[in-house]
Amino acid sequence: MQTAADYLSLPQPERADHLWRYTPWRRVHPTGDVTEVPEISSASVSIAKLDGSTVPEGVSLERVDLELGDLPDSDPFTLSFLGAVTATSGWEVKIDSKFNLDMPLLLDIDTGEGSSAVHLNLQIGDLSEFELITRVRGSGDWFGLLRTGEVGSGSVVNDIVVGLMQQGTMLRVDSLDIGRDAQVRVGTVSSGSDKTKTDLRYLLKESGGSVRVLGSVLGAGSMHLDHHVEILHDAPETFSRLSWHSACGGNSRTVGTGMLKVMDGSRGADAAQIFHNLLLSKNAEADSIPELEVLEHEVVGCGHGTANGPLDENQLFYLQARGLDPSEARRVLIAAFLNSTLSEMGSENLHDWLVVLLSSELERLGSGMEN
Amino acid sequence: MPDNQEAREVVGDYKAGWKDTENSTIRFDFGLSEEVVREISKLKEEPEWMTELRVKAYNHFVKRPMPKWGNTSTLDEIDFDSICYYLRSSEATEKDWDDVPEEIRNTFDRLGIPEAEQKWLSGVTAQYESEAVYHSIREDLEEQGVIFLDMDRGLKEYPDLVKKWFCSVVPLTDNKFSALNTAVWSGGSFIYVPKGVHVEMPVQAYFRINAKNMGQFERTLIIADEGSSIHYVEGCTAPSYSTDSLHSAVVELIALPGAHIRYSTVQNWSSNVYNLVTKRGIAHENSKIEWVDGNIGSKLTMKYPAVILKGEGAHAEVISVAYSGDGQHQDAGAKIHHLASNTTSKILSKSISKNGGRGTYRGLVTVSPKAENCKLNVVCDALILDEESRSDTYPTMEVANPTARCEHEASVSKVSDNQLFYLMSRGHSEEEALAMIVNGFFEPFTRELPMEYAVELNQLMALEMEGSIG
Repeated sequence: MQTAADYLSLPQPERADHLWRYTPWRRVHPTGDVTEVPEISSASVSIAKLDGSTVPEGVSLERVDLELGDLPDSDPFTLSFLGAVTATSGWEVKIDSKFNLDMPLLLDIDTGEGSSAVHLNLQIGDLSEFELITRVRGSGDWFGLLRTGEVGSGSVVNDIVVGLMQQGTMLRVDSLDIGRDAQVRVGTVSSGSDKTKTDLRYLLKESGGSVRVLGSVLGAGSMHLDHHVEILHDAPETFSRLSWHSACGGNSRTVGTGMLKVMDGSRGADAAQIFHNLLLSKNAEADSIPELEVLEHEVVGCGHGTANGPLDENQLFYLQARGLDPSEARRVLIAAFLNSTLSEMGSENLHDWLVVLLSSELERLGSGMEN
Repeated sequence: MPDNQEAREVVGDYKAGWKDTENSTIRFDFGLSEEVVREISKLKEEPEWMTELRVKAYNHFVKRPMPKWGNTSTLDEIDFDSICYYLRSSEATEKDWDDVPEEIRNTFDRLGIPEAEQKWLSGVTAQYESEAVYHSIREDLEEQGVIFLDMDRGLKEYPDLVKKWFCSVVPLTDNKFSALNTAVWSGGSFIYVPKGVHVEMPVQAYFRINAKNMGQFERTLIIADEGSSIHYVEGCTAPSYSTDSLHSAVVELIALPGAHIRYSTVQNWSSNVYNLVTKRGIAHENSKIEWVDGNIGSKLTMKYPAVILKGEGAHAEVISVAYSGDGQHQDAGAKIHHLASNTTSKILSKSISKNGGRGTYRGLVTVSPKAENCKLNVVCDALILDEESRSDTYPTMEVANPTARCEHEASVSKVSDNQLFYLMSRGHSEEEALAMIVNGFFEPFTRELPMEYAVELNQLMALEMEGSIG
């Protein structure tokens, strides 16, 4: 499913469709004309270590023609569209088996101007251990990111995607398979683009696989940030946690929808998801739908939760009593709220980098978060 | 712990699955058309506005597509042309059980309705197929101005009151099945509680489908005037047939300022009944609406009791349990809309799936931008008792006011081995231990029911748990 013909042959999604309930497809289509598959240029992609030095042996980034088959448990609609617009902009990130690196890798994507897209295929070998940050920057109007691939058995990977477009729309689809006994953390830090629609799907297809999906979302101005996460347990003794923190101010709206599916035969599965929303202004809105489908009886547990609330008045008062002005106190509390998922995304190196990033985003968007 | 033999004697085996010989005085042919709708209205000698409302609803029903969410494959199996939309088995609604046709009276005797009325009810309405066959209310309540009638009589005797409130909470265009109900409704209850009157003992309605391929479309409208209170209890059963029946009710509650309405349901449909019900209430200032909802049986239940918190300080509660057995899908939940400030709500949902049954919680909670300082809490728990069963949870929260405090939590699990071991070490068999755990799981619901209903529910659950082990 990757040609324009495939996309055009599918019926348009309806609002009753869970995935499109809050963000109609035409709102995130590059031109708004959903019957069109426009020409989209390729974004530039580069990889280095977080300190800017060259990547070591065992890591490669290559421009390739990617064949996109029918990925299991994916939304055929977005997949076929992104498949079509990234047909000539495929990249493979290959990590050798037993690759080990302390310093995070930084995969930089520059969207440029106008519309661009990239298909990244992650091929992570067995028993590797590393951290990968994918940073999306640029002043484009529209950017499509398709990430597919596999995490090999026994690997320990922290995979963070940071969306920092200055404007425009970002459409992102993940479809990652997680191998036997692999431990993966997938972090999303989302802020910047006017509209974001993500559809992130992780398949625990072999026993012992574990995934933690973490989100820190900061909405300001009139941003519309819609994130959908699906985790499919299709093997015994698999583990998943989804923890999503969204803070929204101004006229922004954040949407967090999750689906944990525990298939028949996934004995000993342990799955949980939680959405926390912090509403910072009168016109902000936060929607969450944490869904569960459990077809297996012998589970360790399956749970979900969601909580919404404003900034705590007592905490604000406390910080002001310590000499912070009201806007500083607000920023500190928002940072603390978002940091609770950031701090779980990876190593200290990675966390430090993310905190600096979050602070600058809070500074930049400060006024857009007020009423 | 109820004794299973005793339970079997009380509730039979489906428990309420016997059927009477059909002795209809009027039976419409299968299928639905505008003519059928007009004929029902004519038969009931309704005012023109109601006939036209029915026709309008029928046209909407025809135009409206089937829902594209939920268990669409089972929903799409409904054959609207093979359903009888009106069947009358008794010439009149009686005030004395002795005047009710013997066979129908025997049915309600077996269900324990007359006995319950004497002991603990303020009033009773008993509906058999499309019409109420028995109706009574305590004299002292009547003297205080409480109106408790079957809906048809309510329309005849209080047309202005009915016209004012009918379809005011559930408009005919709300959904396909509420449109169907509005088109062909028959029976149900009409209640008006005057200002400041508290109806201390519950009033009860019992709905029985007897005929094959029957559609039951009762319509209930309850208006609690300022500062009043009422507890309404309904029970439902039907015989087991190999072909499907359709129960599609609409219930509208209006709690005016300071009023309190509690609506308790224990539905025990046979597994050939589609139970597609729209229940909604509007709560004005400082009023309270509670839905206490028990769903056992049916082929497919889709029911999401709703409350619109329209007035400041209003409160809503939905406590529901669902048991899904072989071939059953209980798609139940709750909806609460916080439209006004300082409103509070609480949803507690519990479900059990067994023998391949499917339990679904589907909920929606919204807080509007103008509703300040709202608090809401949603808890849903599910137990899966065997390998063939499944449980789904689809909760939605839409919060557009920063002062709202919203919490939701849910869990799906199996019965704890530790709890089973503990009870068995105290001398209970595994089956008894499981039934006790299940009853304990449902306890937050049963404690909200009148004693007799709680006992019946425990007995039903004990029977459902029979043969769970081994």
